[in-house]
Amino acid sequence: MKLRLISCEVLYRELCAAAARSPHQVDAEFLPKGWHDLGWRRMAGLIQEKIDAVAPGACDAILLGYGLCGNGLDGIEARHTPLVLPRAHDCIALLMGARARYQEFFEEYPGTFYRSAGWLERGKGLKQLAHGTTGLENSLEDFIAKYGEDNGRYLYEELTRYRSAYQRLVFIETGLEPDSRFEDEARWEAAEQGWEFLKIPGSLDWFRRLVNGDWRGEDFLFVQPGERVRAAYGDGIVRVEPVRETAP
Amino acid sequence: MADLSKLFDAVLNGDQKTAVAVTQEALAEGRDPMELITQYMVPAMDEVGRRFECEEYFVPELLLSARAMKGSLELLRPLLAASGAEPAGRVVIGTVKGDLHDIGKNLVASMLEGGGFEVIDLGADVGPARFIAAVREKNARIVALSALLTVTMPSMRKTIEALKEAGVRDHVKVMVGGAPVTPQFADEIGADGYGENATAAVALARKFAQAG
Repeated sequence: MKLRLISCEVLYRELCAAAARSPHQVDAEFLPKGWHDLGWRRMAGLIQEKIDAVAPGACDAILLGYGLCGNGLDGIEARHTPLVLPRAHDCIALLMGARARYQEFFEEYPGTFYRSAGWLERGKGLKQLAHGTTGLENSLEDFIAKYGEDNGRYLYEELTRYRSAYQRLVFIETGLEPDSRFEDEARWEAAEQGWEFLKIPGSLDWFRRLVNGDWRGEDFLFVQPGERVRAAYGDGIVRVEPVRETAP
Repeated sequence: MADLSKLFDAVLNGDQKTAVAVTQEALAEGRDPMELITQYMVPAMDEVGRRFECEEYFVPELLLSARAMKGSLELLRPLLAASGAEPAGRVVIGTVKGDLHDIGKNLVASMLEGGGFEVIDLGADVGPARFIAAVREKNARIVALSALLTVTMPSMRKTIEALKEAGVRDHVKVMVGGAPVTPQFADEIGADGYGENATAAVALARKFAQAG
């Protein structure tokens, strides 16, 4: 098969490693990380543009290297080529290798930040996307410079208070890391924030199956031309819906 | 005499000190607290909302304007309470069970207060029982639910179902919001409305309050 992979860059290492061993020809395009922060409407629009740029007949299927990502895939339509996407909430679930494992972690360890090689080397935060609109990435000095001493301090407190709700940083190790640099950085970040550090093994399984065309079972959603992706808000996470019957 | 256009400007520009100073001056002159709110501060917050919609203002500016307005409201509230004036409405707000994110919820709470609502903020990771108790205790007519994760969005549905089971669903309007929340989801779980951002949430709450 000829497959076209459209993915978030946060999964670059994992998907490249999997694609290199795929029995199929996988042409990959990686898009900037953090699009979920733009809101579901804009994220879905941007990904749809990339899907629509694939010429009819250019490949047998378009693979999406995304989870539902804050509903950023809700409403995406297959035009002339089928879409295949993992049934996952986000990249953390993909890196963990199973929905159930992610759900267990989520329930057992609330208040956890997750890090992986992609999250660390491609910017820990979302500064490249913030467009200065949320101010979440600004330092105290940035705020004071822009809004003055009193308001600057107030904004910094308001916009960083969420960090106190976190107690833990989990580093997901996939085995693709060249050395300990990512783990070291994650440990350093946890120590700096006063969070507990935890390292867990990741899995390349989901990535392998995606690029190998092994889409059987419950882990993938197959979207035929004329169908669109819908969030399911249940165990399946996403479902398909015919495009014609309903408005987007 | 207090120059009340300065109050409008102070709220618009997020200048809490000036907002408080002008309010004190106006009160010392015996001005009607309600007039300060309806003639100057609410229109200023409406302008803040307009600027946010056209992307002239962003989250920090919204927070600062809400802060300025709150500073003034703190002086006015005791007077309003003493005169028996009612708020625009009472809203119970919280981030739903399992979700610890509260910046968006705080912003909506601030903007609602700025819009003249009394806001009962339950915080984050709030289970259905606490929403129900707050609605009963405060006789609130609006419940605002926030979630930032698709993982926790089902908690919104559970909260609405719990409101039904507790027999309070018909007494309140439920509005939902948060980055991953869509209007379609709001319909699906039987919410009364969806607010895409903090200013939309205020508009929605006003609609609910006017309807009754």
